[in-house]
Amino acid sequence: MTDARRARYVALFASEARSLLSGARRALAEWQDDPAEQDAAEEIFRALHTIKGMAASLDFATTAELVHATETTLSEVRRGDRVATKSWLRDFELALDTIALASEAAISEAGGERAADAQDTANKGPRIVRVDLDRLDALLSDLGGLVLARQELERHAELDTFSPISRAALQMARRLDTLQARILDVRLAPLSEVLERIPPIVRDLARQLGKDVVVEVSGDALEVDRAILDQLADPLLHLLRNAVDHGIESPETRRAAGKRANGKIAVTARQDGDAVILQITDDGRGVDRDIVAARARAMGILEEGARLSDDGLLAVLERPGFSTAGEITAVSGRGVGLDVVVARMREVGAAISLTTILGRGTVFSIRLPTRLGIVRALVTGIGEERYVMPLTHVIELVACEPELVQQQDGRAVLSVRGESLPIVDLRRLLQYRADDLPARRPAVVVEANGQRVALLADAVLGQVDAVVQPIERPAGMARWLTGATVLDDGRPALLMDLASVV
Amino acid sequence: MAHRILICDDAIFMRTMIADILTGAGYEIAGEAESGLQAVERYKTIKPDLVTMDIVMPDMGGIDAVKAIVAIDPAAKILMCSAMGQQSLVVEAIQAGAKDFVVKPFQPARVLEAVQRVLGG
Repeated sequence: MTDARRARYVALFASEARSLLSGARRALAEWQDDPAEQDAAEEIFRALHTIKGMAASLDFATTAELVHATETTLSEVRRGDRVATKSWLRDFELALDTIALASEAAISEAGGERAADAQDTANKGPRIVRVDLDRLDALLSDLGGLVLARQELERHAELDTFSPISRAALQMARRLDTLQARILDVRLAPLSEVLERIPPIVRDLARQLGKDVVVEVSGDALEVDRAILDQLADPLLHLLRNAVDHGIESPETRRAAGKRANGKIAVTARQDGDAVILQITDDGRGVDRDIVAARARAMGILEEGARLSDDGLLAVLERPGFSTAGEITAVSGRGVGLDVVVARMREVGAAISLTTILGRGTVFSIRLPTRLGIVRALVTGIGEERYVMPLTHVIELVACEPELVQQQDGRAVLSVRGESLPIVDLRRLLQYRADDLPARRPAVVVEANGQRVALLADAVLGQVDAVVQPIERPAGMARWLTGATVLDDGRPALLMDLASVV
Repeated sequence: MAHRILICDDAIFMRTMIADILTGAGYEIAGEAESGLQAVERYKTIKPDLVTMDIVMPDMGGIDAVKAIVAIDPAAKILMCSAMGQQSLVVEAIQAGAKDFVVKPFQPARVLEAVQRVLGG
């Protein structure tokens, strides 16, 4: 082990062992108040176990042996071979103190923690200006105009790639990319603005509902675009309410199931490339997929004998109205209104997924884009309006000729090089008049969720770099229209979430 | 392409140590999890080539996590990380579908041997 690496491990040991020991002391205090309390013993056992493993890894032999001995006497109590009397608990408290002393001695003998935050003291802290979001929106919209002008310029420049205008266009393109990144950065706000309100709200909810819940929040220094952050609070509260109300069991039920009496809800955020993954984890009863599947079959939305994967489960639960059924809510561990949550998250370009294990808990995982995107998109004309589709999902453009269309299992399919693709007529989907359709129309072959379909448009008008902004959605507007952009003639166009259309 | 590994342990210390051993040998750390439930969630999204799994973790322990992961992917390759004196738990984990185990404190050579064995088998 190199010295630098060992110093890093020692620093990790110092912070983790201290925090585990203070957790163990808190648990011991609860235990001393109520010697019948078994959760405390479990928590202390886990803490000691972890400290022992770390100490042994660093060859802190004295600490490791002390912890091992203390763990052994605790095991006797956990097995029921020994009773945790008041005097035993007092001795145990002394043992924890001794471990703390031994580990501090080991840390300082190993050179102490490096002053990792030494350079922070040199910082005088940032200087801050408050800016109205409307002004930032205006800035973004001006940027959109510049991007369009750049495209125009590039079209001219392409005619002669060695001309001065071409070089100027290239330079402008580079600077514009930098400017765009800076403007998008200015709009970033820390998740803490939303997440810091969570613990008090959850504790209050828990009190109202007679639940015992511990809340943990982490990663709240990560940043996302202000417009996305503003859309996050309501869906997040919805998921938390469901977790407290339907996920976390009553203390009695939890004890009977051999779990800690107090449930835990963790809200964690971590960076993943350009996205932030926000997870809401509860250690409650989980979703009972047999019950959900039975109801889905009764409603005719799940085939007989089909099993529900986590993805399938979410697809069923997010159906409007599905989870409002009382019996589902009470026993499935999932409450009402998941459809609203999923729809709101999709509006800002976030994807949501579910992992649940019966009796163990549920994780909702939300993948948030951190920046409002500039999306390379295809412009299509449908009826009087224009719609843009992100190129990431577009496979190819083909002409939909009448002789290539067949009926298969009662639906129209388009034959593309021997492959039969289901046809979705966007004019019908968007409820435009569908009479007087020309025989030959352009079809956009898109792929999402592992499926390919042919989307029929009236016209394909070209490609753009679209600066996408989230939209306020009027009631009744299709769920898969997720954003708006302004095209080069100043007219707006709506962005299709192709994953939802497919 | 380097094999992608998911590390599951409730202690940052242990995760860092395993990550250092594995990245030093050219493996890619595809993700980390600090509880059994997180491990299952991460497994689904990351689809790693191998998982290292601690046994004692809050929320949902390593053995239950092994069962849940094997239910999703019967071919999952999971290496248990146990402390000394947990032999009975190791046996339970292997019965649940884990492929092998290493004992803490970690000896880099032992860990790498076990990882190669599990990935090769």
